[in-house]
Amino acid sequence: MYRIRFHGRGGQGMKTASRIIGTALFLAGYEVQDAPRYGAERRGAPIFAYVRADRRSINERGVIDRPDLVAVADDSLVALPAAGVRQGIDSHTVLLLHGRTPGAAWQERLNLAGPVFTLAPAAHVEAGHASAARVVGAVARLLGVVDRDTLIAAIRRELAGLGDSELAANTRDALAAYDELADQHGAVAEGGAVVSRDFLPPRWIELGLDVAALAAPAIHAPATSTAVQTGLWRTVRPVIDHARCNRCWWLCSTFCPESAIAVGGDRVPVIDYDHCKGCLVCVTQCPTHAIDVEPEEEGTPEGGRS
Amino acid sequence: MTEIKSLRDLPARHLLGAGTPMCGGCGGLEALHQVYDLLGEKTVFVNAAGCMTLLAVYPFTPFRGSWLYTAMASAPAGAQGVRDALDILRGQGRITPEEDLQVVVLTGDGSAYGMGLAATSGAMDRGLDFLYLCYDNEGYGNTGQQYSAATPHGAHTATSRGALGYPGYKKDLFSIWAAHRPAYVATVSPAHPVDLARKIETARTRQGPRLVIALSPCPTGWDYDPAETVAIGKLAVECGAWPLKEYRDGRVEHTRVPKKRRPVVEYLERQGRFRHLFHPVRQDALLAEIQARVDGYWAGATATGD
Repeated sequence: MYRIRFHGRGGQGMKTASRIIGTALFLAGYEVQDAPRYGAERRGAPIFAYVRADRRSINERGVIDRPDLVAVADDSLVALPAAGVRQGIDSHTVLLLHGRTPGAAWQERLNLAGPVFTLAPAAHVEAGHASAARVVGAVARLLGVVDRDTLIAAIRRELAGLGDSELAANTRDALAAYDELADQHGAVAEGGAVVSRDFLPPRWIELGLDVAALAAPAIHAPATSTAVQTGLWRTVRPVIDHARCNRCWWLCSTFCPESAIAVGGDRVPVIDYDHCKGCLVCVTQCPTHAIDVEPEEEGTPEGGRS
Repeated sequence: MTEIKSLRDLPARHLLGAGTPMCGGCGGLEALHQVYDLLGEKTVFVNAAGCMTLLAVYPFTPFRGSWLYTAMASAPAGAQGVRDALDILRGQGRITPEEDLQVVVLTGDGSAYGMGLAATSGAMDRGLDFLYLCYDNEGYGNTGQQYSAATPHGAHTATSRGALGYPGYKKDLFSIWAAHRPAYVATVSPAHPVDLARKIETARTRQGPRLVIALSPCPTGWDYDPAETVAIGKLAVECGAWPLKEYRDGRVEHTRVPKKRRPVVEYLERQGRFRHLFHPVRQDALLAEIQARVDGYWAGATATGD
């Protein structure tokens, strides 16, 4: 059975990517499950989707914790514990990362025994956008059981509603990635059956139950949400050019949905990169166009992502 | 009461903590942070189930005071209980008038326009002293944008996928509320922060049921780039689809009447949820009907204000 796990950020299209791969495998004669994880997924936040495919009936359900292939739309997710990219990866797992860092560097950084392939963003692909089609093409190639025509048919079936030009662009991007990875055809091996008698309980430390007063204390501290670094959702960052800022002080700060732009008595706005999600409302609303957009990987290191 | 004349009179300090799980570019969060700045820290929120349930996921909260979570239809009942408890504490002299709290229901349109409407009606009948804030993103956004009673005619939702979109019409909740003759009813838009601030100041200083609907552009549910949240909010007002108005002392007044309304198609064509009205075939009859309904509204409206 193939067990494929997709990671991305809400809005990058990985849920759709999993559907396309599921459909492609179905058209190739497999029994297929594909499902995104339902939860508090939000645009920019980590999301998960799962595909299982087998020639026989699939009796497994739920999340995939022993993946044969892990496909990641945005390699900044690897460092994010909540994204769980590395969960259950062993030496047979193929890791596919969309990003510019070479696979060998990731193997060394993460001490991985299994193969790591990276898929550089296409020249016309903006950071964080439209990576899903390339991931679809690469996954199809790495599986080795989806031919070109089946891939094209699956994309058409899932994306026909978007109109001809979107369909053509996605098909083109997927096929380009499919061709780029021609040398890795069939690099993913099907995992064996998982049977309950082989189940090993995780080596967790069992903690006894505390009384409610200890386990669920009242929160008296205000605005504790600031401990959550939503700046990690960002793929691009707004940067204020203070030379062009006319110190109106209220505009970007009032319109920022996140309360992530503060202004002091000197009227200078300051962006809180620990929490800015990169929506760029400030960029569109600044009357003097004093806020520029930079791809996140070129952002200054003193910003939120360290 | 603080008089709000221009953007410079808006609060410079933001009370709502960053780091919430709302989507990047969330129009509802933009409205909430503007409202919270005006209401101040002595506010207790009673939250009907919806997107904003996720604001205060234990142990994190963006608020600086208490937050109570209720089932979808029962937020006004929760607010009644909180208000009664505060009144009892005041009656017994256990809190001073200065320590009293403003009780605010926070709810999405799914609850406000639909399953929570009976409880809201009852709270108005009882003259409950509370503020009711509906962030209206015109669908059940938290679960994937299924249609609600607030969905506009023709919009594509997860449950209205036909060629002509949602066949129903957006419910006139403002008029339903105003028919109860409560202390105050208003529509606001976070893209118009001065108008919003004036109305929240009015609502804050009145006694009895005070109800406010904030049109909350939703990049995820309406399918547009998050950076456009404010631009789309402004267009909704400028094309006349979202009238800014208030009801008090038995009268409805429009607080902003667009001198020359922009064509509604300018608002619709920027949102993916209306894409099917333009591609592959332009649905001229439906577009004309939507425009005619907006024109008909304004022909019947008593135009006052600026």
